[in-house]
Amino acid sequence: MKQSIRLEINGQVHDLLVAPNQTLLEVLRESLELTGTKRGCDHGACGTCTVLIDGEPHLSCLTLAVAVAGQRIMTIEGLAQGGELHPLQKAFIEKGAVQCGFCTPGMILTAKSILDEEEHPSEDSLRKKMAGNLCRCTGYKKILEAVVSSAKAGLKA
Amino acid sequence: MNTRMPDFEYIQPETVVQVCSMLSQQPGAAVLAGGTDLLVNLKHGFIKPPILIDLRKITGLNLIELTAEGARIGPLATLKKLSTHPAIVAKLPALATAALAVGSYHHQVMGTLGGNICQGNRCSFLNQSAAWRQARPACHKTGGAVCHVVPGSDRCYACYHGELAPVLVTLGALASLTGVDGSRKILIEDLFTGEGKTPIEKAIDEIITGIDIPAEAMSGESLYLKSAIRGSIDFPVLGLALWHSPESKRYRICYTGVGTRPVRAGRVERLLEGHDLHGDLVDEACELATEEAQPVKNTSCPPSAKRHLMKRMLCRVLNQVMGES
Repeated sequence: MKQSIRLEINGQVHDLLVAPNQTLLEVLRESLELTGTKRGCDHGACGTCTVLIDGEPHLSCLTLAVAVAGQRIMTIEGLAQGGELHPLQKAFIEKGAVQCGFCTPGMILTAKSILDEEEHPSEDSLRKKMAGNLCRCTGYKKILEAVVSSAKAGLKA
Repeated sequence: MNTRMPDFEYIQPETVVQVCSMLSQQPGAAVLAGGTDLLVNLKHGFIKPPILIDLRKITGLNLIELTAEGARIGPLATLKKLSTHPAIVAKLPALATAALAVGSYHHQVMGTLGGNICQGNRCSFLNQSAAWRQARPACHKTGGAVCHVVPGSDRCYACYHGELAPVLVTLGALASLTGVDGSRKILIEDLFTGEGKTPIEKAIDEIITGIDIPAEAMSGESLYLKSAIRGSIDFPVLGLALWHSPESKRYRICYTGVGTRPVRAGRVERLLEGHDLHGDLVDEACELATEEAQPVKNTSCPPSAKRHLMKRMLCRVLNQVMGES
């Protein structure tokens, strides 16, 4: 039986009617047309569905929409403010860390959550924490450079 | 691939009493914590609970407390919290190591201690989509009557891969199980049936409400070593937990990924007990370790390689202990 829920996404509140078996990923993409969050493996092994919930990275393909009412959800669409790209997004472009772009939203959000928590994360810590976001294009080098350069710039946003 | 899960009702009770009552009244109901194991199994379609009971509105189940009497950890403590808790890192480091070894960072943020302990057993013939499994007769674990791994077997050999449980076994931990009639405590190792189809030993109305680690565990040293195909995100091919007390020269050793439950290497423990470690003893212990389990080929790793890994990993861990003493 569908349930009426209220989701806060990127600072906006949405009233939705969802079935309990609908994932947050499905609701974001299909009910709210926020297609920046991607469906890759759909079972938690690739990280392309990453969203931030209360600041921490979650796999939205393994999150029930009905379970996250009342929590602050951020998708990649919520990162740029007032038409200005987030410093992480700029770093990814400058370093050439985007090829097909499919992994990019998940990569950026995971990176953001790490940098919000650790002011100067070691490269080791970054590698370990971003290992849940897979990329088939870049070989990861440029992605890591983008995140490391953002960390060095003292990014906290 | 958009895998819609089977229909279910969803409820968020606020007390343990409500959960136990619901479980007793609704056969087949499943409890939900982080969801990183349960939801994948729902997507694969080999479990179809009519109702999901989300535990996360219940307060008091995510505590982490260390005192002189020991440690008490709630089942909803996330793996991330476990791995970063200063007292856990200092006094029970193998717990932190094991928590950091599980899945990816995302899984550690979402996943819980209770969920990791109670994760479903795994087999390369089970953890597949419904479409994949349709090519073969249903196995014991999915309502059929065959085992694709051990032909002719009348039981399920699905393998346990949880990484926190072997550490908890070596720490002498106890699990509190709460049902409609109250609570009881059992050793963590008694939580496992050793049967692949229903791996966890508890009444249908019970849930884990706490893990207690005795103070004695903190007076020894604990280690966890994982072997996996990839350095990140994979289930263990083999996991090895070891606890030892330098003063009393006692050892507790437990493997995961090598049987239908965490496997205690009791004979190796008895061989080592009371002795200082030295080369010949370590060699004998590592050789004996290969006889402590009978792995079957239900993952990509052949049993002979698993037994070899049991020996190699124990060798590495015991050499580390020797080097430190």
